[in-house]
Amino acid sequence: MADGATARMTQNDTVVDFDVALIDRARRGDSRAFERLYRDHVGRVHGLCLRMTRNPDLAADCAQDAFIKAWKALPKFEARSSFSTWLHRIAVNTVLEKRRGPSNAEISVEDPSDYEEPVMSFDSPVEEEELEAAIQSLPQGARDALVLCGVYGYEHSEAASMLGIAVGTCKAQLHRARGLLKDRLERGVR
Amino acid sequence: MNMRRVNRIDELAQNLPPPRDLWPAIAAAIEAEKSARAQGAQRRPRWLPAAGMAAAIALVAVGVLIGRSFAPVQRSEIAATQQPATNVIPAALRDANYRKQRDVLLIEVQHKLNEMPAVERTKVAASLATLRRSIGEIEAALGRDPANALLQELLVNSCQEEMRALTAVRDSGNQEI
Repeated sequence: MADGATARMTQNDTVVDFDVALIDRARRGDSRAFERLYRDHVGRVHGLCLRMTRNPDLAADCAQDAFIKAWKALPKFEARSSFSTWLHRIAVNTVLEKRRGPSNAEISVEDPSDYEEPVMSFDSPVEEEELEAAIQSLPQGARDALVLCGVYGYEHSEAASMLGIAVGTCKAQLHRARGLLKDRLERGVR
Repeated sequence: MNMRRVNRIDELAQNLPPPRDLWPAIAAAIEAEKSARAQGAQRRPRWLPAAGMAAAIALVAVGVLIGRSFAPVQRSEIAATQQPATNVIPAALRDANYRKQRDVLLIEVQHKLNEMPAVERTKVAASLATLRRSIGEIEAALGRDPANALLQELLVNSCQEEMRALTAVRDSGNQEI
């Protein structure tokens, strides 16, 4: 990378954050630094939006709006969370704002602790395309929880906070997604 | 056709780049926001705070004048001797440190006034002059009635107000740089 301080150690943003120098420059109005941040993060932000909206045009709009909002909100960004998580939070908000109708309806949870494990594995390998199609077929609430917890690795508490739902609801939605995926993929899902 | 197979859901690609580069639209929005911010800053007169300050100082001056007119003048036997005002100025105001601070402040305020646009300078200077004149009149009244505690208190308060006003003038516009 051009700026030594911005080198990335791993692809997992929980290990980072070497974006600090770029963020600092962007905060001071340096749009080139912000472009660098955009180039680094747009793939994950767009991926999240695409999986949540299931609509390529809407996903691109959401990703674009999320970056514009992030630029405006940069002075408020505090390094308590990683830049990537902060950006994802903005993207999720943008998707939720653009959605029409009810979202993430509360579902009953008997014992949320039953559904603690967000990682999901299969009895036998699944083609990516088949899995993506199965995810897209899920109801909105279950899909949101699965995308954030399962695909992007957020804890239930983080995902629930982003989605504006209770942690128990998030766990229940993930449990529901697991069951539906099992049916649709016709194989065991753990 | 993507034939990659996965065993876990978190093996799905997290990076899914958009079909088009979103940056040009984002950059345009950023530039629009920047220029709107710059225009906003230009539209706001640089010395708007100074104008507000002149009004505030004028209010203080009026307050001092009103206070002075309400202070009961108890003409005593001593007042009849017409002592010079300097002899009756409260001790706090004769303090060398206070005098020195005020002199320094006056020089700094003069520099600040010189930097102001003529209109604002005239307003602020006029307000400060009104304040100063009020203080002079209280001092003169004290010269005639040196035992008047209310006048003494009014003088101390007015001088404190003057110091606050001078400090406000000195510090004006600093936050905008």
